[in-house]
Amino acid sequence: MIRFNSRLRNYLAGALVLLLGSCVDKFEPEVLDTPQNYLVVDGFINLSGPTTIRLSRTKNEADAPVPVEAAATVTVLDDAGAAYPLPEQQPGTYQSAPLNLSSDHRYRLRIRTASGKEYESDLVAARQTPPIDKVSWELNNRGVQIYVSTHDEANATRYYRWRYEETWLFHSAYQSGVEYVDGTMQQRQEGIYYCWGSENSTAIQLGSTSRLSQDVLTDAPLRLLESNSLKLGIKYSILVKQYALTAEEFAYWEKLKKNTESLGGLFDPQPTQLTGNVHNLADTAEPVIGYVGAATVTEKRLFIDRTELGSILRFKTGYEDCGNPDTVLLADVPAYFSRPNLLPIEGVYVARTLIGYTGNPAVCVDCRLRGTTVKPDFWP
Amino acid sequence: MKLVYRIILLLLCALGSLRSYGQHTEPLVSGSFQNLSVEEFARQLQAQTRYRFFFDSTAVQGVKVNLQVQAQPLSRVLQQALAPTTVRYAVDEDHNVFLTSGTALTTTLPGNFFQPGAVADVAATADTLTTIRGGRATSPAKLYEIGRPGAAKGATATVAGHIREAKSGEPVLGASVYITSPSIGASTDQFGYYALTLPVGAHILNIRGIGIKNTQRRIQLHADGKLEVEVEEDITALKEVRVEAEKDKNVAGLQMGVEKLDIKTIRQVPTAFGETDILRVVLTLPGVKSIGEGSTGISVRGGATDQNLILFNDATVYSPSHLFGFFSAFNPDILKTVELYKSAIPARYGGRLSSVLDIATRDGNKKKLAGSGGIGLLTSRLTLEGPIVKDKSSFIIGGRSSYSDWILRRLPDRSLKESAASFYDVSAHISHELDEKNTLYATGYLSRDRFKLASDTAYAYQNRNASLKWRHTFNNTLYGVLTATGSQYGYEVTSEKNPVSASALAFNLAQVGLQADFSYFRNAQHTVDFGASTLRYRLRPGRLTPQGPESLVEPDDLGREQGQESALYVSDRWDVTPRLAVSVGLRYSLYQSLGARDVYEYAPGVARSVYTITDTVHYGAGKTIATYHGPEYRLGLKYALSDRSSLKASYNRTRQYIHQLSNTASLSPTDTWKLSDAYVRPQVGDQFSVGYYRNFRNNTIETSVETYYKFMHDFVDYISGASLLLNHHLETDIINAEGKAYGVEFSVKKSTGKINGWLSYTYSRSLVRANAGTPAEQINGGKYYPSNFDKPHDVTLAGNYRFSRRFSTSLNFNYSTGRPITLPLTTYYLEGATRVFYSDRNAYRVPDYYRVDFAMNIEGGHKAKKLAHSSWTLSVYNLTGRRNPYSVYFKAQNGKINGYQLSIFGQPIPSVTYNFKF
Repeated sequence: MIRFNSRLRNYLAGALVLLLGSCVDKFEPEVLDTPQNYLVVDGFINLSGPTTIRLSRTKNEADAPVPVEAAATVTVLDDAGAAYPLPEQQPGTYQSAPLNLSSDHRYRLRIRTASGKEYESDLVAARQTPPIDKVSWELNNRGVQIYVSTHDEANATRYYRWRYEETWLFHSAYQSGVEYVDGTMQQRQEGIYYCWGSENSTAIQLGSTSRLSQDVLTDAPLRLLESNSLKLGIKYSILVKQYALTAEEFAYWEKLKKNTESLGGLFDPQPTQLTGNVHNLADTAEPVIGYVGAATVTEKRLFIDRTELGSILRFKTGYEDCGNPDTVLLADVPAYFSRPNLLPIEGVYVARTLIGYTGNPAVCVDCRLRGTTVKPDFWP
Repeated sequence: MKLVYRIILLLLCALGSLRSYGQHTEPLVSGSFQNLSVEEFARQLQAQTRYRFFFDSTAVQGVKVNLQVQAQPLSRVLQQALAPTTVRYAVDEDHNVFLTSGTALTTTLPGNFFQPGAVADVAATADTLTTIRGGRATSPAKLYEIGRPGAAKGATATVAGHIREAKSGEPVLGASVYITSPSIGASTDQFGYYALTLPVGAHILNIRGIGIKNTQRRIQLHADGKLEVEVEEDITALKEVRVEAEKDKNVAGLQMGVEKLDIKTIRQVPTAFGETDILRVVLTLPGVKSIGEGSTGISVRGGATDQNLILFNDATVYSPSHLFGFFSAFNPDILKTVELYKSAIPARYGGRLSSVLDIATRDGNKKKLAGSGGIGLLTSRLTLEGPIVKDKSSFIIGGRSSYSDWILRRLPDRSLKESAASFYDVSAHISHELDEKNTLYATGYLSRDRFKLASDTAYAYQNRNASLKWRHTFNNTLYGVLTATGSQYGYEVTSEKNPVSASALAFNLAQVGLQADFSYFRNAQHTVDFGASTLRYRLRPGRLTPQGPESLVEPDDLGREQGQESALYVSDRWDVTPRLAVSVGLRYSLYQSLGARDVYEYAPGVARSVYTITDTVHYGAGKTIATYHGPEYRLGLKYALSDRSSLKASYNRTRQYIHQLSNTASLSPTDTWKLSDAYVRPQVGDQFSVGYYRNFRNNTIETSVETYYKFMHDFVDYISGASLLLNHHLETDIINAEGKAYGVEFSVKKSTGKINGWLSYTYSRSLVRANAGTPAEQINGGKYYPSNFDKPHDVTLAGNYRFSRRFSTSLNFNYSTGRPITLPLTTYYLEGATRVFYSDRNAYRVPDYYRVDFAMNIEGGHKAKKLAHSSWTLSVYNLTGRRNPYSVYFKAQNGKINGYQLSIFGQPIPSVTYNFKF
């Protein structure tokens, strides 16, 4: 219901824009100098694997890096008193050893910051996540729509959240066969034409069967790719991770989603203050952002090959801005290619005589600037 | 000698039509006229003004004039000088003044020349002395005898009846009927009914009203009796006529905080699509604010949008707009008047906190078949009216429809092409006079909207209203109206694209009511209104049903809610002295929330949530779940400081038992309504209001200052992230908040002349506090915060410039402070994206609102006997193309937060409408 109302809003807004000459302008209120600096707790208690928690602070400047909360002591506690430490892996990221926690207990997270403040999340019930039945896709007039289907025969899960990791194979604009190393041009040792790009989901994906008679989700829309997306150009893969939620946790994520993804549209609810389940033990009024739940994770992977998208002939490459290669005469090679941001592509011959090399900026040649040449384990 | 004057008079009358006084720039008169005979007085005035005076010296013999004036217009001097005497005067275009004796007129010579028709009658017919009993008083020249001679029980008698338009037979509302010596007057009510208690004897009844020509009837009052008056319509309804009719109402009327608009005023205000829109015009009045551009949701004096009682011929309308609020749901052609009560709400009305918007239709032409219509860019309309039985009964039926479907199908965008949007409305009204004492009125109204968006979600909503009125006149001083009303509002949202989740969501609200209202004109000092009403609400707040065999959607039904609202009221308008008038009213309302329903019980002392439900109690059908009752006080006071200025004060309490649920920035048609129950208490409002009124320049400029202070108890507000749709335990998401609002409204209105219109400035605040319950239930830490309707500064100008009777222009200007908004204060990174941390609720504001509209009206010829009258309206909405924010919103896009403002009318919107009338 919520979903189709927001769709109604979007279409209506679209209709208004066309019919009435409406317009959407940027709204940039003067930057509010607010000294607010709140703790942000990101992560969940993984019942079957390592638990990763990231601690950070709110930030007030758009371009500044996210301030991390380093050197804190983070522990998972169960209601029986057992404690599992999460040592700091890198500043602000805390990870436990792989755990196998019983779903009979309830769990909480305890944080003691470097400045000595103590925070705790509320005890939460551990949730067993049912497996994902199917990740499927279809090409429709809006693009490539990826769906997820799941069910719980016990009718106990009801609330779901998904995250996904996308991986795709792509190539740079020009395939370079040579490289300029220490003043000499030589055969390229390692290919930099084909790479794998990857991206994690940023949108909050939720699903609920609470209004259905059975705990069955069929083809819940998860991800919509433009039909000519550069991710689909060769081969695309998506790993969907599924988490079971409690009703309360679902409400939190739903609210967070509402607050940050579609707000103040024509008929959208007004922004709301969020309260998570983490509290400062000394000062309950201090806002702390984040909700720490406890669940197992199930996952499923899908591949889409270009050949399956027969009707799409052209894909974006991401290299549309790259110009034609320059020809660099042999005499100019040292001066030209000693600059690291320019890479040679191939030799230029006149009557079988090498007269120079073609070159192009590295961003158009070296795919590693946008991905990795290391083939992921799961890639066939 | 006498004969000579008489002949001169008749000749003059036959030569040229005489104009009523006051429409010319008149010469000014100064001087001291002490104990002068009329002859001497006239001689002196003639010397000063060069106007020629004619009179019958025997008729004015012995009459003395006492007056001291300084630079006063001639007509005013004459009026003041002759008011205490029996001598009457008339002034014609050729600067001739005729003085006659009032008493002599009644038996010998028709001597008053206030009105051209009177003169024509005199000149053309010989039977100027005819006296008439009964029937319809159509002629100002004839003498109408009221009652049997000698039947009077005392020194006074009551004359009562209706004022109707001669051509159409429609009652004239709000017309003044008065005699000048002694000064006694009344105005007609919603049926065109008036009652006047006068000394027995001869009188001249002056009649002035909106859209009619000023006229008078001569009566010889013997005893109580009837006088049914038919008056001529003023074809072009010049502003002068309308204003003169009520020119001192601003100062002299008892009612404060009331705004009355007639359809002719409404038509002059430019609107977005050239479609006359009453709600849009109401929004230009002081104290009335829009909640968003393109929305007809109105906030009156800081109240919420659900606190306005919108009555269409006494039946409640729940959704007064089409197409998400871009058009008002009322066909302008069938409307007669729109009255908005902002304070001092009469005791007759109840059930809403902030205001009453009373919309009345016309009765239809009782004499001949007529029609009118209009063709616009997005909609067209047609209205037909005519007699069923001539002079006895009439009908009016109007319809309006959009052709936006047709436009949508021609758009290039695929999702819009697959969309549909259409609406229509039909209104019908019948009035039938059974006999002299009984009249029946029936009204039906239907409006329907339908959208289909990108072939996915279909959306429909409709209003249905009906009212039946029986008006019975017991005697000259008492009449009663029995009214039965029914209203229904419902919507349905269907989604059929995905067979697994195909579903339909339906909402329905119905109410039936019965009320009896009585008006008793006890004497010249007291008018008593009393009555009783009862209203049954039946609400089906939400029903989700699966569509198709594959759908896995589980049916969900919020069940039914029922409530009964009953009230008794009595009010007395008491003219204590000529300067002081008070209106005292008391309404007592009783509300019962009725079963059958299941009611959750919650653990005491903790916030209500699904986790704190302790029990479910079932109430059987018709069992009372909760009862609320209380008095509603309605007090008003007027003290006239002088002829031109007065002070008014009022206090009123109102109670509201039905609440609209909406936590979106704008009004959305999926907003539902909720009846008061065991958890949702009725809203109670108290308003104190004081105003000062002063008119200038012969009542042509009206000024007023009104100030108010308002408390609202149990104002409905929502917890953060409240879910209102298909919520079985709404009480967990609703909080009973406290509201307060205060403000001061300045208004200047000029109603005559080539330039007319109004200018108003309002300073007002509207604040809410939710400080009950646990900290989680509180908003902004339990402190007062600006409500969504808090727009402190507001300036409105509605101006017209009339170049000629056929060509006029209007200009609208509107400025207001931006509405409050909750702003993102800081950001944080969570779950792979940068997210926003919001400020306290409504702590900041969107940019100020500013808009200028312009319209031109070009009328066809004004020949009275023309086959069809037509006019063109060209308008430009948002002339300066200012991009006023309709809404401001923030989106997380690629991990970055962007703020946007959507302007709906981001550029000038021109439109053209063709109107016709036959």
